[in-house]
Amino acid sequence: MGSIKALHLLKPARIATDSFLFNFTKNGISSFPLAIKPKHSTAQRSYSVKSSVLEPPNIPRLAQTARISLTPQEVEEFAPKIRQVIDWFGQLQAVDLQSIEPAIRADTEGDNLRDDIPEKFENREALISAVPSFEEPYIKVPKVLNKE
Amino acid sequence: MLSSIHTPRLLRFSNLKSLKCLSTSQSQPTPLPSTTPPPHSQILTTRKSLLSREISAVDLATTFLHRLNHTEPKIKSFLYISDVVLKEAEEIDRKIAANEEVGPLVGVLIGVKDNICTCDMPSTAGSKILENYKPPFDATVVGNVKECGGIVVGKTNMDEFGMGSTTEGSAYQVTANPWDLSRVPGGSSGGSAAAVSARQCMVSLGSDTGGSVRQPASFCGVVGLKPTYGRVSRYGLMAYASSLDVIGCFGSSVADAGILLHAISGHDKFDATSSKREVPDFASQFVASDHLDSKPLKGLRVGLIRETIEDGVDLEVISSIRGAASHLEELGCTVTEVSLPSFSLGLPAYYILASSESSSNLSRYDGVRYGKQVVADELNSLYGESRAGGFGSEVKMRILMGTYGLSAGYYDAYYKRAQQVRTLVRESFRAALDENDILISPAAPSAAYKIGEKKNDPLSMYAGDIMTVNVNLAGLPALVLPCGFVDNKSVALPVGIQMIGAAFEEEKLLKVGHIFEQTLQGCSFIPPLVADELPC
Repeated sequence: MGSIKALHLLKPARIATDSFLFNFTKNGISSFPLAIKPKHSTAQRSYSVKSSVLEPPNIPRLAQTARISLTPQEVEEFAPKIRQVIDWFGQLQAVDLQSIEPAIRADTEGDNLRDDIPEKFENREALISAVPSFEEPYIKVPKVLNKE
Repeated sequence: MLSSIHTPRLLRFSNLKSLKCLSTSQSQPTPLPSTTPPPHSQILTTRKSLLSREISAVDLATTFLHRLNHTEPKIKSFLYISDVVLKEAEEIDRKIAANEEVGPLVGVLIGVKDNICTCDMPSTAGSKILENYKPPFDATVVGNVKECGGIVVGKTNMDEFGMGSTTEGSAYQVTANPWDLSRVPGGSSGGSAAAVSARQCMVSLGSDTGGSVRQPASFCGVVGLKPTYGRVSRYGLMAYASSLDVIGCFGSSVADAGILLHAISGHDKFDATSSKREVPDFASQFVASDHLDSKPLKGLRVGLIRETIEDGVDLEVISSIRGAASHLEELGCTVTEVSLPSFSLGLPAYYILASSESSSNLSRYDGVRYGKQVVADELNSLYGESRAGGFGSEVKMRILMGTYGLSAGYYDAYYKRAQQVRTLVRESFRAALDENDILISPAAPSAAYKIGEKKNDPLSMYAGDIMTVNVNLAGLPALVLPCGFVDNKSVALPVGIQMIGAAFEEEKLLKVGHIFEQTLQGCSFIPPLVADELPC
C-alpha cells in the first residue's frame, strides 16, 4: 500500500531552512534498514551538537531507567527496532533550527489555573478499592531497598 | 480504468463518481441510484422521533443492541458492552411520557474509547496493566454526554494507550474493518470508528494524539472530528502525550459529529489547558440540501496541501482527493495548491515528542495505586515486573525511546529540536491559513490495509501518520469525511478527505463539511455488511 516514504535516513544531508522539502522516494522504507549503519551516519551528518555525545541507545540501561524489566529476548527484539527509529529521529540534526524558539505545546488559550485550594474527592471508596494492596490507612508496598 | 488520474485538474466530480461509485465490477458497494439520500443526522432524527412518540428509546436501543450482537463477533469493536442500556432507555421513555425536559443527545447511543474514564465500566486503554480497572470518576466528556441524555453503549477497542495506527496493538483483541474484515479499521480509535461504521452505535468518542480519530474515520468511511487543542476538556482522558492529546468525535454525518462536539466542548476547571472561549452552536448552521443554492460555498478559499499528494501516496487516494477538490470548486470554492515547507519534518518531531511525553505520563502505571501488581520482595522489582507484565511491546518500545530522548545530554538534540520543529510547523500552517480559509489533504496515504501487514515494521506504520501529525503539532481542528472509494480487487474501501481550519474554527469546517457531504451524490458510506438490514 502506498504509505509515504518520509523516512529520510537514506540521505541525511544538511538541509537549509528555506529548502527542507524532502522528496518522497518510492523505495524508502523497505531498503531503509540497510542504510542504517551507525558509523556511516555519524560520519556523514553534521550535528549541531557534538556527535560523540549522541551514543546509540543502550536498551538494558534505558529499561532500568524506565523501570521495565525486559527479558533477554525482548532486548534482542527491541534493540534493532529502537535503533532504527532513533536513527530516523536523527534527521532533525541536519536541519538548521538555530534561531527558532521551541514551542512547549500548540498555541492555546489555556493556563486557566484554579486557586490552589484542596477539594475533597467524593468517591474515596472507589479510589481505594482500585489499590491492589491496601491496609487502612496505608498503601502497602514491599521493602524499599536501594541497591545503588 | 484510472487513466484520468494524471489529468487531475480536469477530473470533474462526475467522472470520479463513475469511476469510484458506479463501478460495474463486482465490487462493493453495489451500484447506487443517483438519488441515494445524503447522510442524515441520527441525533436529530432520534430526538424528533422520540419526542413525537413515533418510537420509544427502548425500541431504538433494542434495534442497535440487536445489530451490535449480530455484528460484534466479526468486528470486535467493543471491549465492554454496558448491561444497563435498556434500563437507561426506559428512564428516557419515562421522562418523555412525563413531559420532563430532555437533553440534546436524548436516546443517542454512544460508544466511548476505552482510554476515556467511565466510573461504571472498566477503562483499560487497551492495556493489560489496567485489566478490569474501574476509575473512581467519569471523564468530563462522559459526564457531558450523560447529562445531555446520551446512553453509553460500551467501551471501544484501541491500540494500547493510543500507541498505534491499526488497533492491532490492543492487548485484548483485533478489531476488523467493517468494509473488509481482513483489513484494519485504523487506529488508535479503531473500535470507535468501526462501531459507528457498522452502526453498532450512533456516534462515538475517540482521542487523537497524532491522527487517531481522523485516520480510522478515513479507513472506516465515517466522519471524524479532531477539535482544536483546548476546545474539549481532557480530564479523565488517560494521558499519552499531553501537549498533543485531544478528545474527538465520530459520526455517520457531519451534523452528528458537530452536535456531539457541542455537547463536550467548553472550559473545565479540571483541565487548565481547556479554553474559556465561548462555544458556538455548531448545529444551527446545518442547512438541508434542498435549501442550498447552486454555489453555497462561493468565495471560500481552499488550499490543497501539495506535500500530501506527492509520490508515496496511493494514486487512487490522490485521485479521490482531486475529485473532492473539484467538487468543492463546483460548490463555489477557489482551490489552489499550497506548500507547507516543514511538512515532512513533522513526522519525526511528532514521534520524538509523543514518545518522550509518554515515557513520563506512563510512569504512573507502577502497580502501586491501581492496575496490575506482581508479587515482589522489593519495590523496584515490583515496579519493573508489574510494568513488564502489564505493557505490550509497542508501549515498552515507545517508553524506552522517550526515555532515551529525554536523557541528560540528549534533550537538546531530540526533544528541544522537535519543539523547534513544532514552531516551524505552526508558522507554516499560520501562513497557509492566512491565504486560505481551509486546507485540504488526504487523511491517510492509503486506504485500509491488511491486518498484520505493518505489524512488525514500526517505521512503516509511523509513516502512515504523515497526513495527520502536523495538525496535532499545530493544535488545529480538522474534520475528516468520506469522499470516495479505492477499488481493491473485489472490495471497495472508503477514502476520507481531511479539512483543516484555523484554531477554534470548527464551525467553518463543519459548515463546509456538511455542504460537501449533502451534495456528494451517488456515494453511500454504509458498509455492505450492514447495508442490507438498515432501515435507520
